[in-house]
Amino acid sequence: MNGTDNALMAQVGAGEVSKLAVLFERHHRPLFRYFVSMNRNRELAEDLVQDVFFRMLRYRSSYDPRQSFTAWMYQIARNANVDQAQKRRGEVVGIEEFNERRPEPVSTAPGPEEAAARGQDLGLLKRALERLPADKREILVLSRFQDMKYEDIAAVLGCEVGAVKVRVYRAIRALEQIYFTLTGERTA
Amino acid sequence: MTCDEAKILLADYWSQSLGEAQELGFEAHLATCNECRAETERLGALWKNLALLPIEEPGPNLRGRFYEALGAYRQGLESRPRRNLRDALAAFWPKQPAWQMAVSFALLVAGVGVGYGIHPDRPAREQPANSELAQLRGEVSNMRQMVALSLLQQQSASERLRGVSWAYRVEPSDTEVLSALLTAVNQDPNVNVRLAAVDALHAFGSSPVTRNAIIRAIPRQTTPLVQIALLDLLVDLKEKEAAPELRKLSTDEAVNGGVRQHARWALEKLQ
Repeated sequence: MNGTDNALMAQVGAGEVSKLAVLFERHHRPLFRYFVSMNRNRELAEDLVQDVFFRMLRYRSSYDPRQSFTAWMYQIARNANVDQAQKRRGEVVGIEEFNERRPEPVSTAPGPEEAAARGQDLGLLKRALERLPADKREILVLSRFQDMKYEDIAAVLGCEVGAVKVRVYRAIRALEQIYFTLTGERTA
Repeated sequence: MTCDEAKILLADYWSQSLGEAQELGFEAHLATCNECRAETERLGALWKNLALLPIEEPGPNLRGRFYEALGAYRQGLESRPRRNLRDALAAFWPKQPAWQMAVSFALLVAGVGVGYGIHPDRPAREQPANSELAQLRGEVSNMRQMVALSLLQQQSASERLRGVSWAYRVEPSDTEVLSALLTAVNQDPNVNVRLAAVDALHAFGSSPVTRNAIIRAIPRQTTPLVQIALLDLLVDLKEKEAAPELRKLSTDEAVNGGVRQHARWALEKLQ
């Protein structure tokens, strides 16, 4: 699939901008989830997804088909996220907006996964993830929600693969700490 | 395989990307190490459950907006005519009602601030209230410091971890807590406490004392996990003074290969 993505983006770069629609259909949902996880704001996430695809158009000639399209796209996404954060620095994050969003589809996880989830509260896990520092939340979102390879994450973050693996471990350890703190607050 | 080596393999283990030999070695370690086995199970459950979190779906308008804009782009509208003043102002006005309220509120606060600026003479009776508030803040700060320091000295690693989390609540200028965190980074027997203490040092990063201590801590560490965390912290703090130590680290054959590579990366980032 990545080879096809690379080829499509190369075609966009060569002037066939309508091919961007195929890339949009494939990637706008994961990108949306990335931005929602990072900012906790659905409307902002939609604006940022739109922004990413237009940055792709603007910088299409700079795309090198030999590099991973996914890594390139998330580099653009990170830059878009940093730019909006700088613009909005000092403003209050609309957490209440996030909490009042429309109901989400219920996960249809199969039996074994449900069994693994026993004893753990997904609502608390979600809150713990939201409280995780942005850099740690980002690495879990990329590795777990986006199913990105560690090599691609290394390209996005500009570090080597070994460091990505260490950061994944540190992020999940930090998540565990926050999760248990929240569990304690709930039972207190 | 040591416990530290096993922890580095966890990310690959969860994503099922370990080689056969590595997986055998990892599982052999788990069979003999209760602590690592328990940690793998606990963290592995969290890893699995992350995949069960509800998936956020975008609203129906996103697709329409994209195709509309793409169509406009294709028709050559990128060279659109210069916008008039009204359109230009409208572009700066946020679309989301919450942001609109935030901007309106900010303008209101700015207006009130200007009003106060015109009449800067405050009533004298406000001063005692301010001093009481300052005293109260001081007491709360001392209480947080005491809790953090006392937990950091406990026998139990989980209590010391709680101490590290309390360290986030003290003032960044608190040298006693800073010193306790640095001691934890350098001497705590538990790697998770050391890692958590490295993260907590971030808040104290503006002090040159912290930065120098972080640089000195790297060669003293024997755990690649902690060394990599310290290197990340130096890059986050943009500590250029670390360059000589990083150069030494990146060429020292006695140092773990991954750490040497990461030191080279950190050096590039800082230059």
